[in-house]
Order: sequence, then C-alpha cells, then structure tokens
Amino acid sequence: MAGRKRKAGRAAGYKLLIFGILTLCVILIAVFAPYLTPYDPYAQDLSNALQPPGPDHLLGTDRYGRDMLSRVIMGSRTTIFSALLLVAIITLAGGAVGIVCGYYGGKLDSFLMRVSDVFLAFPGMVFAIAAASVLNRGVLNAVIALACISWPRYARITRSQVLAVKDAPYIMAARLSGSGTWKIIRKHIIPNIAGQVIVTAVLDIGTMIMEISGLSFLGLGAAPPTAEWGSMMSNGRSMLQTAPWVILSPGCAIFLTVMVFNLTGDTVRDFLDPRYRGKRRRE
Amino acid sequence: MKKRSGILTACLLTVCLLSGCGSQERGTAEITGEKVFYYGDTTFNAENDEKDVNPHNGYSGWACIRYGIGETLFKYSDSMELEPWLAAEYELLDENTWVVTLRDGVTFTSGRTMDAEAVKECLDHLIEVHERAKGDLKIQEITAEGQTLTIRTREPVPALMNYLADPYGCIIDMQAGITEDGNVSGTGPYRATEVQTDVGLTLVKNENYWDGTPKLDMIYVRTITDGDTMTMAMQTGELDAAYGLPYSSLSLFANDPYTISSVETSRSFFAQMNYATEALQDPNVRAAIAGAVDKEGFTQVLLEGNGSAANGPFPESLAFGDASVTAQSYDPEESRRLLAASGWTDTDGDGYVDRDGETLSIRWLTYPSRQELPLLAESVQASLKEIGIQVEVNCTANHLDFIESGEWDIYASAFVCAPTGDPEYFFTTHCLDDSTKNRGGYHSDRLEELETQMSGTFDPDERAALATEMTQTILDDNAFVFAAHLKMSIVSGEGVTGLTAHPCDYYEITVDLDKN
Repeated sequence: MAGRKRKAGRAAGYKLLIFGILTLCVILIAVFAPYLTPYDPYAQDLSNALQPPGPDHLLGTDRYGRDMLSRVIMGSRTTIFSALLLVAIITLAGGAVGIVCGYYGGKLDSFLMRVSDVFLAFPGMVFAIAAASVLNRGVLNAVIALACISWPRYARITRSQVLAVKDAPYIMAARLSGSGTWKIIRKHIIPNIAGQVIVTAVLDIGTMIMEISGLSFLGLGAAPPTAEWGSMMSNGRSMLQTAPWVILSPGCAIFLTVMVFNLTGDTVRDFLDPRYRGKRRRE
Repeated sequence: MKKRSGILTACLLTVCLLSGCGSQERGTAEITGEKVFYYGDTTFNAENDEKDVNPHNGYSGWACIRYGIGETLFKYSDSMELEPWLAAEYELLDENTWVVTLRDGVTFTSGRTMDAEAVKECLDHLIEVHERAKGDLKIQEITAEGQTLTIRTREPVPALMNYLADPYGCIIDMQAGITEDGNVSGTGPYRATEVQTDVGLTLVKNENYWDGTPKLDMIYVRTITDGDTMTMAMQTGELDAAYGLPYSSLSLFANDPYTISSVETSRSFFAQMNYATEALQDPNVRAAIAGAVDKEGFTQVLLEGNGSAANGPFPESLAFGDASVTAQSYDPEESRRLLAASGWTDTDGDGYVDRDGETLSIRWLTYPSRQELPLLAESVQASLKEIGIQVEVNCTANHLDFIESGEWDIYASAFVCAPTGDPEYFFTTHCLDDSTKNRGGYHSDRLEELETQMSGTFDPDERAALATEMTQTILDDNAFVFAAHLKMSIVSGEGVTGLTAHPCDYYEITVDLDKN
C-alpha cells in the first residue's frame, strides 16, 4: 500500500515536470510571439489569399493572404495573456472577498455572500455576453465581463477555507501572542489556503481560454484585425468546407493549449494532494 | 446482457427522435403528387425592414415582388429599361400629367378584376402611408376611368413611371385589405397563405393568373440568415434554391447538379466622407484615401469575383454607368505624395503620418449585416496603413446611432443606387443638401445646379448625360469612394428551371419557375 502511494507520488512529480515544461513552452511562445512569427501576422497580400498549407506557409493563408502560422502564434499572446490576466483578477478579487468574509464574518459576510449569490444565479455565459455587449468590443472588455461573473466562485472557495482554519489552535496561538489581523492573514491563513485556490485557478485557465475565445467568436471579444483564436475561427467559419485550414489552425491551437493547461491543473492537484505529500516529505 | 439491451434501447430512442427531423411537408407532398418548392433567402426579416409582404410597409414590397405575390405597372428589362407589365402603355400629356392604360383581363387573388379604380385605391393608400413613395412620386391627384388611369403630379417627375416600377408600387387589392400579419392580395403567380416575420412564408399557386399557369403547387420560403446553415441546407437537398449564399460557398455549387445564375446589380458598396472631420476637409487627404483603396483586390479576392470594381454608383451596364466616368485610380505612391503635399508625413517613425504632433487616424464606420462590408473595412484598414493612415474599424449593427452622434469619419454602406433604372434617385438620396442620407454634409454648388436641371429633364439621353456629369462631380470631389458593384447569385438545385438573377435584384420567383 505504502509502495503504491510512493509510486503514485513520484509519477505525479514526473507528470508535473512534463506538463510544467509544456505550459512553460506555451507561455514562452506567447511572450516571444513577435520574434517567432515567420511573417508579419497583419500584412495583407491578396495575391496569396487562401493558400493551402505548404512549405511557404505551414498552416496556409487566410482570405486576406495573411500567414496563418504567424497569426496563430501571435494569437496565442492575446488569448493566453488575457486568460491569465482574467484568472489573476478573479483569484485576487474573489480571494480577497472570501478572506474578508471568512475572517470577519457578521453582516459584511452576509452582505457580500448575498451579492455573490446574485451573480451565481445568472447563467454565466449569458451574463458575460450581455456585459460584453454593453461594454463594446475589445479583449479587455471581454476580460472584465468574464471577471464579473467568475469572482464569486473564488470568494466562496476562499471563504470556506478561511472558516476551516480560522479557529485552528495555531491561529489562536498567534492571536494570543499578539499578532495583528493583517499579520495572521498574511502569515498563517493565506499560506494554508493557497494550495486549494491555486489548483482551482490553474484548472480554470483552460476554461477561461475557451470562454474568451467564445466571446471573440461571437464578435464580442477581440476586434479585427487583432489576431485572436476565437475571432480567427469566426472569420473562417464560412470557409470550413472550402478552406478548412483557416478555421482548423486556431481551433487546434485552442484545443492543444486548453488541454495542456487542464492536464497541468490536474497534475498540480495530484501533486498537492496531502495523501501523496506526506510520503514525499518523508522520502 | 443488461448493458447490450440498454445500448439497443438508446439506439432505438435516437432513431425515433431523429425520425421527427425529416420534413413532414415533403412526405405529404410526395403522397399527394403536388409540386412543392423550397426556397432559402437571407433577406426576409425585420432587420431588413421586410417584415411582411405588404408593399406599403417599409421595404416589404421587395418581398412582395420577389416571391411572385405582387406585380407593378411596369417592369425592367435585363438592361433596366421599362417594359409594360400590369399597364399596357403610358403617355405624357403635359409635364405634370401622365395617362396610363391598364392591361385587360388581370384579376387579383381576391377575385376582383384589376381596373383603374383598384389601382387608384392602391396608389392613394401608398402615398398616404409610405413616406419614401410620397417623396418620390409627388402625386397630386389620380383619376380613374375604366382601364385608364390619369396621374397628375405637383411638379414635373420625369422618372414617375420608373418609380411606379419600384417594389413599393406593387398593385394590391385595397378592398380585400391588408391582414394583421401583413398579407395582401396581389396579381402575381403565387399568393401567400402564411406570413411569419423572420421565419418565412408559404405560397400557393394562383389558379387564375393572367399570364400563364404557375408550375408549382406550393413554395415554402425559408428565412435563413446564417450563410453556412443555408449552404448546408442546399447541400443536403432541404432547399431547392437559395439566394444570398456566402461567396466562399459558391464554389461548392459550381458543378452539376447545381446551377448558379449571376448578374451584376446596381447594389454598390461605397464609403462617404464626413466633412465635419477636419482632416477630411482637405481634398488631398480625400484623394489620397480614394487612391489607396485596392478595389480590384477587394472584388477579385475577397468577394471571390462576385462583384466588379466600381468607379461610380452605377454599373457599366447602364448608359450613365462606370464606363462614362473616371475615379481616382489605385496608386499608393500618389496617395503618399498627396498626403505629403498637405503636410502629413511620418516624423516620429511609428508608421503613421502626422502633422503638428497629431497622427492621421480615421474612424471607419460600417455594419455587419452585409457580409462584404466587414471585409472591405479590414482590407481598407491594411491598405490605408500602407500610406500611413491609421484606421479604427467600428463594425456594428448600431451604426445609425453612431451616425447620429457624429462619431465617425468614413461611413461604408451598401445601397441599390438605381433600383428604378433611373439615376436621379441616388443623387436625391445621398448627395444634395436636403438628402436624407447625405450623412457627411457634402455640398457642391455645381451638383445642386445639375440636379435642378435633371428634375426638369424628361429625355432619357439627356438625363443620362446629366447623371454622368453629376457622378463625375462627386468623384472629382472624392466625397464618395465607390468600391464595388455586387454580383447577385441564385443557386438552383437539381431539376430547377426558370430561376434567373435579374439586375434589379428583385425579380426572383416568376411564373416560369419549375422543378422536375
């Protein structure tokens, strides 16, 4: 039994390494996108429109003659960065609300939780579409729209975690030894609840990529000519039968990236699972 | 065993569910031996102001005439010349008086005979409720006697007979009235039995049609606004014919059993400049922009050949069309020179020209319901960048709100510039001081003068010459940039005959339509 657990722990370690490297690669591609594109992703060349994939253009060209590979690489920047930004915003905002509610409790807790209930009561994507329409087109507005509906989940998770630890003996001890509220939250609460929140956040990156691309696909996210995977797919929609590479290239990019982030999230969760953690420490 | 029976039940249930998806109408038609036709169209919807088939309501006359429900007094030939239809002939008594002799033996689908009194009732109602018709026709009085209709206008309207051939001029029986859902009794080969805005209509054969026997018993017109859905419906055989397929899909129907009927129309895609924008008040800047639009690339590549590069508002097939005028030619080098001559150069090296520390940036407003317009916007964005002009595209269904608030510099739209085969309509709607669609505040003394002449000229050749001069005036001013004329295409499926695209864009279902 112990042997099996140890093996599982080690396997989680290797998996984390592999997916960590893959995630890093994806993020590095996004960071260095402008230096990696073989062509200018925005330069139109109508004489080269709708070229199928070939040696000159590995993923073909779109109807404006723009190189699809360059646009997919450039699009990774918009899509992945906005997803990361979104996850960061909702983790921080939701987390802060959760900590305040969990730690202080009382009327403030009731009020903020009712507000979050209101947000949770809306069907998420419908609310995001409405918010994005009101805010006008743009990736940043899509991020704001999605942040509006996604923070309550984080607030709830953080709050429940804080409630679980706030009466633990070590917090009592810290309080007795004269630590202030801020110090207790910073030194004792956040480190103890961070694991669960981070796992949720990492698992959410893939979903957020899908949602941002979804809004762009509907014409509510990135505005042309910005290279963004969702809007690129939307532009190529009518060419699915005649020039499938225009829609398949960004589609595959979304699929692969979401898969990498999701598997990384799963692995992080496995890795942080206390059932394996104890074993690893002892080893 | 349990698992297997579970799978079996699931399969059976799926089959049962899917069997409901088949067309019930089709099944019924096969049993009764009726000829049923399925027609897909993108335009029959409220967004296009085509809510029903009542010609006296907005642009619904287009649906009325398109689907063979109504007919007008005169119609257009393939070269957009007037031909008799419900009227046999007309005569101009004096500048303000027209005598129209109606055809004998025409009946409405309500059973009433079409005589001058019926036409008078229809036209009286039209000018009472339809603002556009009222403005075009300027009718003072109509008198009816037997089959002779005398129309007196308030002022000379040389194109009166052309205007009466506009879809709003469909003759309907006002005694039978207009139903609550916007259905009417016309004189066409088919009559509508069911009208559903944004969904479609059901048409049945008019047994008493005056000009032959309609060959189909029933036609279902389906509104399918999504081009891809329509493409697939056409491929699976759910539709017998379709209008408004995306250009990128047309190549799928290039071979048997499909046929494509295409014709160049006077629907033009063009941009108008906002004279309230300081930079655009400079003729050099307007000329630079006009000369930087790659019209050939737009029509040949982005419209995939389904359009032709335009000089002015009218296609070459018209006497006053593109062949007789010249526009700023595509020459980015010349555009750069023009900008530099006005002091616009790239001093900060950001790729965009600037003057007094301000970058030349243009807000390009357009809308998505015409699929060509976003393509034009994105292509212009790239080609103007070449000459150093920054373009911010605002492609929104709310375009009219932005027009009203003045938050735009160039507005690109699509418009049928000569729906009646007469040139005056475009100028009166778009270019004069009192034109409702002169959104950019363009003014030209010369153009106003020419329009005054045009409004009193009856001779078609003289009108054509004036139209040419007027077009050249707006092109010399670069107040408008005409990018392309649309080629309209109708795709017919196997065995379909008698469906041909017409340059006026609104004759589709006729008595000749058949399916074998």
